[in-house]
Amino acid sequence: MNKPVIHLSNIRFRYSTQAKDILNIENLQVYEGKHLFIQGSSGSGKTTLLNIITGINQASSGDVKILGKSLQKMSVIQRDQFRVDELGVIFQQFNLLPYLSLLENVQLPCWFSKQRKHLAGNTSQMAKRLLNELDIPENLFNKAVNTLSTGQQQRVAMARALIGQPKIIIADEPTSALDSNNRKRFLDLLFLEADKQGSTVVFVSHDSYMAQYFPHKIELSEINRINSDLAAV
Amino acid sequence: MRLLTIAIKSAWNRKISLSLAIFSIAMSILLLLGVDNIRKQAKNTFINTISQTDLIVGARSSPVNLLLYSIFHIGNATNNVSYKTYQHIKAQKNVKWAVPVSLGDSHRGFRVMGTNSDYFRYYRYANAQSLQFQQGSPFMMLYDAVIGYDVAQALRYKLGDEIILSHGLAALKQAQHDDKPFRIVGILNKTNTPVDRTVLVSLEGIEAIHIDWQSGTRSPIKISADKAAKMGLEPKSITAFMLGLENKMTIFRLQREINQYHNEPLSAIIPGSTLAYLWQTVGQFEQVLMVVSALVLMTGLMGLLTTLLTTLNERRREMAVLRAVGAHAYHVIVLFMLESMFVVVTGCLLGTGLLYAILKILQSFIANNYGIHLMLNPPDTQQLLIFLIAVLLSILLSLIPGFIAYKRSLQDGLMVKI
Repeated sequence: MNKPVIHLSNIRFRYSTQAKDILNIENLQVYEGKHLFIQGSSGSGKTTLLNIITGINQASSGDVKILGKSLQKMSVIQRDQFRVDELGVIFQQFNLLPYLSLLENVQLPCWFSKQRKHLAGNTSQMAKRLLNELDIPENLFNKAVNTLSTGQQQRVAMARALIGQPKIIIADEPTSALDSNNRKRFLDLLFLEADKQGSTVVFVSHDSYMAQYFPHKIELSEINRINSDLAAV
Repeated sequence: MRLLTIAIKSAWNRKISLSLAIFSIAMSILLLLGVDNIRKQAKNTFINTISQTDLIVGARSSPVNLLLYSIFHIGNATNNVSYKTYQHIKAQKNVKWAVPVSLGDSHRGFRVMGTNSDYFRYYRYANAQSLQFQQGSPFMMLYDAVIGYDVAQALRYKLGDEIILSHGLAALKQAQHDDKPFRIVGILNKTNTPVDRTVLVSLEGIEAIHIDWQSGTRSPIKISADKAAKMGLEPKSITAFMLGLENKMTIFRLQREINQYHNEPLSAIIPGSTLAYLWQTVGQFEQVLMVVSALVLMTGLMGLLTTLLTTLNERRREMAVLRAVGAHAYHVIVLFMLESMFVVVTGCLLGTGLLYAILKILQSFIANNYGIHLMLNPPDTQQLLIFLIAVLLSILLSLIPGFIAYKRSLQDGLMVKI
C-alpha cells in the first residue's frame, strides 16, 4: 500500500537574489495516508519547502515528484493546474476571500479545477455537507466571512482544502491562531475528514506541541543540510 | 470563466474607492462628449440654417454681425435699409428673387419678423429644404401671423388664436401693440433653425402696428386697426433682405456693386463664406476645449491608476488565496485588467447617460438663448472612438498594478507574511 505521494530527492533551492542555498534536502518521502508533521523554527526554510511541494517555486536542482509525477517536467501553467487538482491548502490565517460567502469560498477550488468539481459532484451540496460536518452553523453559510470567529474561519478553510478530494492537504500553521481546545478539535476533524476521503496531510508548524498527534514527524533542521553546513562554520 | 465573477465581487468589495474612480471617469467623459456634441451640433445648426440664398444685404456692418442679426436673430441691426433701395436692387436684371426681412418686435420672448409671402417660397435651409406648414397656410390678410414650431409648442397656440405683439424685444406693459392683435393662420413644421422660434407677419402688418408710433413710443393720435388697414402701408425701411440670383457666376459682381452702392452704405455677404469664416473663428476655441477635455480624461484615468495602486497591498493576501486555489499568476493581471475595464466602461456609460440627461434638461434653454438646437443623437463614430481609446488606455494602465501584483504573487507564493 505504501507508495510515496511526495518524493523529494537531492533538492537544492536558492532565491535568485541570494548567494547561498536556503534548502538542501537529500531525501524526503511522504507516504499515502501517513499524515506528516514537519517542525521547523522560523527561517528554517519551511515556507520555501511548501512553495516547492506546491509547485509555486521550482527547485534549483533535484527532483520533486508529487503522486509519481515530476514537477520539474511541467510548465508553469501545468503546475498551477496540478496544484489545484491534487492539493488542498490551508494557511495560518486569512484564508478566505472577504467578498465571497462561506459557500462560495469553499467551492473556489472547483471553479479552477474540473477534476475537483467532478469529484465533488454537486459542489454546493458538497460544500454544505462539509461545513455541516465541521460544525459550522447553517445560518452562517451565506453570510460574510468576517462575521465568523477565527476557529470557524479555519474550519471553513479546511472544508475548502478538502472539497473535491485532493490527494494531499498542505497545512501551513493552521492552528497557530487558535486556542488549545480548538487546536485539538481542528486536528481531529482534519484527520477524520482526510482519512474518510483518502487525503494525506502534511502539516507544518514551529510549535512542537502538535507533533504528538501525528504518526510521523520530521524536524526540518535535521533533513535540511544547509543548517548543518552553517553549524560546521 | 468564474474569474469575471471573482473580479466583480472583489470590485464590489471596494465599491467606495472604485465608485469614486468611476465618477471621475464619468465626469471627464461627460465633459469630452459634451464639448464634442455641442461643437458638432452648433456647427450643424449654423451651417444648416440657410441654404440657396446667394446674398444677404443689410446696412453697412461687419459680415458676421449682418449674418447673426438677419438670419440667427442674435443681436440687433446697426441701421436699416431703405425700402427704395430694396426695390431698386430687386429690379436688377439678374435678380431672381428678393425677400425682405424686418426685425425689431417680439412676442413673449420670440422675435417677430416682417417679410412677404415670397419668404415661404424661396427660403431654404439644411439641404435645400423649404418651409412646410404643419397646419394652416401663409399670411394673406394684414393682421395674419404664421408661427414657428417651437413658438406653437411653448405657448400652446393653435390656429385662430389672437396674439399681441410687443414693441422692441422686452415685453414691457406700456409697449404692447394691443390695439392691433394678430390672428394665427399657419404653424410651421420643425426646421431646427431660428425660424422655429419666430413669429412671421407681413411687412404691411409691421407697418400698421407702428403707424401711430413715433421713435419708440405711442403717439397721442391713435389710429384703429381698421383705419390703419385702409392707409398706405408701404414700409419706409427694412432690416435686411435675401437675394437669389439667376446666374451664380454674377454673385461676386453684384456683391461688389452693392457694397459700393451710392445712395446708402450697404453690406452684401455670401452666407456660406461668412458662415465658414465665423466657424473658423469659433473653431480654434473649440479645439482648445477639446484638448482640455482630453486632458481631463487623462486625469480621470490617472486617478483610476492611483486607486488600483493603493489597493495593491490590501489585495496581496487575496492574490495568494487565489493562487492557492488554482489561479495562474497571469490571472492576477487579468483581474486588474477586468477591474480597470469595468471602471472605465461603467464610467463611459454613466457619463453618456448624464450627458443625455443634462442635454435633455438644457435643450430648450440653449435653443432659447443661443439658437443652437441640441439633439440627443446616439454617439457617432468619433465618440465611439473616444470610448475605445479610453478602454484601451485603461487596459494599458492596469498593466502597471497588474504586473506589480503578478511579480509579487510569484515571490510571495502561497505564504504571505502580513
